[in-house]
Amino acid sequence: MTTFSRRQVLLSSVALAAGLGMSRAFAQSDASATLRVQAFGGDAELAGINSAIGRFNAKYPNVTVEVSIDPISTGWGDYVTKVLGQFTSGSPADIYGTAIETFQAFSSRNLFMPLDDFVAENTGFSDFAPSLFEQGSYKGVLNYIPIGWNNIMINYNRDLFDKAGLAYPERGWTWEQFRETAKALTVRDASGTVTQFGYEVPNQNFFVQPWFFSNGTGILNADWTASNMLDPKVAETLQFLYDLIHVDGVSPIPGAEMMDNQFMAGQVAMINRGQWIVQNAKANGLNMDIAVPPRKEKEATIIGFGAYAIAGNTSNADLAKALVLELTSEETQREQGERGGGVPGRKSAASTEAFLAFPPSAFLYYETLPFTVPVPSPANFQEVEKIFIRHYTAMMSGQESIADGCKAADAELTESFTRLKQQMGG
Amino acid sequence: MSQTTFERRGRSDLERAQARTGYLFVLPTTVLYFTFVLVPVVLTVVLSFSFYDPMLGSRWVGFENFTRFFTDPRSLQIFWNTLRFTFFAVTFNVGVGLVLALALNRAMPGWMLYLFRLAFFLPVMIAIAFAAIVWSYFFADDLGVLNYYLRLLGLPGVRWLTDSSMAMTSIIIMDVWKNTGFFMIIFIAALQGVPKPLMEAAAMDGTPAWRRFFRITLPYISPVVFFAVIYASIGALQVYESIVILTQGGPGDATRSLSILIVEQGFGSFQIGYAAAISVVMTLIILAITAVQQVLSKKWVQQ
Repeated sequence: MTTFSRRQVLLSSVALAAGLGMSRAFAQSDASATLRVQAFGGDAELAGINSAIGRFNAKYPNVTVEVSIDPISTGWGDYVTKVLGQFTSGSPADIYGTAIETFQAFSSRNLFMPLDDFVAENTGFSDFAPSLFEQGSYKGVLNYIPIGWNNIMINYNRDLFDKAGLAYPERGWTWEQFRETAKALTVRDASGTVTQFGYEVPNQNFFVQPWFFSNGTGILNADWTASNMLDPKVAETLQFLYDLIHVDGVSPIPGAEMMDNQFMAGQVAMINRGQWIVQNAKANGLNMDIAVPPRKEKEATIIGFGAYAIAGNTSNADLAKALVLELTSEETQREQGERGGGVPGRKSAASTEAFLAFPPSAFLYYETLPFTVPVPSPANFQEVEKIFIRHYTAMMSGQESIADGCKAADAELTESFTRLKQQMGG
Repeated sequence: MSQTTFERRGRSDLERAQARTGYLFVLPTTVLYFTFVLVPVVLTVVLSFSFYDPMLGSRWVGFENFTRFFTDPRSLQIFWNTLRFTFFAVTFNVGVGLVLALALNRAMPGWMLYLFRLAFFLPVMIAIAFAAIVWSYFFADDLGVLNYYLRLLGLPGVRWLTDSSMAMTSIIIMDVWKNTGFFMIIFIAALQGVPKPLMEAAAMDGTPAWRRFFRITLPYISPVVFFAVIYASIGALQVYESIVILTQGGPGDATRSLSILIVEQGFGSFQIGYAAAISVVMTLIILAITAVQQVLSKKWVQQ
C-alpha cells in the first residue's frame, strides 16, 4: 500500500491548485469547444471580428467560433430584448458586443461576469483611456471591455464654407458664432424656399445631448437617477434649437428621417454625428471636417462606446476571455478604426497615420475625450430616450411649448424612475 | 340513453376508422391553433394582470396595468389617433375603391382596362416599408416633391409630416394610395355579379344612373361592401409600419397608434405586462367595433 507523507500531500495539493489556477487563467490551446459571439455593427466591425477570429483560431484550432451580427437598425431597445430573450430561452451567446446605452439594463439583471481581475491581469488594457473602464462598471463591478467609441462632433462641408467665404470653425467657438455661421450657410431660392440648410437640428437623443452639456446641464441628473428637465438651462437650450428652426430658418424641423444623405449631397452644411460618418464621406468624396460642438458655458460633447461582455453562465469562460483579448487587440482595433467603424478604444490604434488622414481634424476625436460626457444610460434608458424624444420633437415642431414640454417630460420621467425603483426592489 | 348507447356500440369498424382519419386530419391545424393562437391569447390575458421581466421575474399586480392605461393622458390621445385613422382610412379606402371599380366596370378597350387596373392595383403589391420610405421624400418640407409642385403653382409649402394637425392626414393619404386598389379589385368582381338584364331594364325605363346605383347595384354588392369595411377596419386599427417609418408616431404623440404603443412598451421599455394590458384593451375595442358594424349591417346589408 502506498503511503504519502504530509509534505508530499501538501506539495501535491499546491501543484494541483496551481494547475487548476493556470487552467482557469489560460485556456489550453488544444481545447475543443464552440464559442458563440453576438456582436453588433456593420461591414467594418464584421471584417475586424473575422480577422480576430482567424488569429484566435491559429492559437486554438479546435475551437469553432460562431458569429451573429446585429446592425442595430431599430435601436438598442430591440437589442436588449433580443439578448434577454437569448438568456431566458437558455441559449445565450458566450460573448456579447454591446454599447453603453444597454450597460445598466444588462448589469442590473446580472447577466455578465465580473471582469475586474481579467483586466488587472492583462496589462495590455492600459492602452485604453481609463475613463472607458470607469464607464463600463456598474456598482463598482467591471462587466465591459471597451472596443471603439464615438463622440459627437459638428461635421461640416468644407466646400460649402469656402463657397460662403467663411472661416472654418475653431476650438472655443460659441453658440452665437455657430448661429451666425449656420445663417450664412443657409441658401434660399428666389421664392424663399431653402435649397441648402446651414444645420440639421438633430432628431436623435444621442446627437442632441451635446447642446445640453455645453450649456452645463443635462436632461437627467448627474447620476442618472432622476429627471432634470425643469432646470431652466434645459429650456434655454431647447429654445435655442427651436429658434434655429423657426426664427433663423437654418434647419428643417426634426422628423423621422436623418439627413445624412442630404449632408453627403451638399444640401446641409453642418450636422452632429460621430466618426461612423467618415466611411460614407470618403466613399462619396465629400470634402468634410469636424469641429468641437460650440460652447455656451463650456466645451463639451457626448460619448457613446461599444464593449464586449462575457455571459455569466458560459461554460467556456477561459476561451471566451482569450477571444475577447483578440477581439480587443491592437490589430483588431487598428483594422476597425481604419475601416471607419468608430474611434478605436486603444490610443495606439487611434493614432495611426491612416486613421488620422481623414477628416483633417481627426485628432480631435481623441483630444476631446477628457471632456466628453457619457450618454445618460440608466437601466430604463429605452423608456427615458423615448419620453425625451417624443416631447423634444413635439417642442421642435411647435406642437408643444418649451415650458409645457419640459414639464410634461419631467412628469413622465419621474414616473418612469419611480417604476424602475419599484421593479428593482428599491 | 339506451338508444344512444346502442348506437355507439353499433358503430362499424369503417366508421371508427373514418372518425380516426378525421381527427388526424384536423390534428395539425388544432395543434397550430392552440400553439400560436389560443395559448398566446391566454398568456397575454394573464400577463396583463402581472409585472413580468424576463430576468427579474414576475408578480401579480391585479388591475394596475389597466388603471395605468386608463389614467394616462397619453392613452386617450393615442386611442383617439387610432380611431381617427381607422375612420378616415376605411372611409376613403372603401369609398375610393368603389368609385374606381365603378369607373373601370364599363366598356373600354381591353388594353386600357388592364392598364388602369394594373396602375391602381400595383401599390398593393409593394411592401409598405418601401412605399413609406418613398412617400417620406414626397412629404419632406423643403426638399420634398409635393411642396416643390405646390410652390411651382405659387402655393405655400405644407408641413406634411412635421405639423401635428397635418401629419395624420398625410399618413391617411399614403394608406389610401397603398390599399384602395385592393378594394377596387374586390368591388370589380362584385359588380360583375350584378344581373345585367336588371340594369338594362332600369336604364330602358329611364332610371337615372345614380338611382340605378343606389337601388340596384349597391344592394347587390352590399355584402361585399360590408366585408370590405370589416376587413379595412381591422387592418386600420392595427396600423403600425407606415406611421413608424413616416413619423415614428410624432410629432409628439400626434400620429402614435395603439399598436405602436404596445410595441414600444413591450419591446422598448420592457413593460411587458402593461403592453399585454393595452393589447387586451385593443382586442376588446376591435371586437366592439366589429360587433357594432354587425348590428348596423342588418339595416343596410342585403341578406
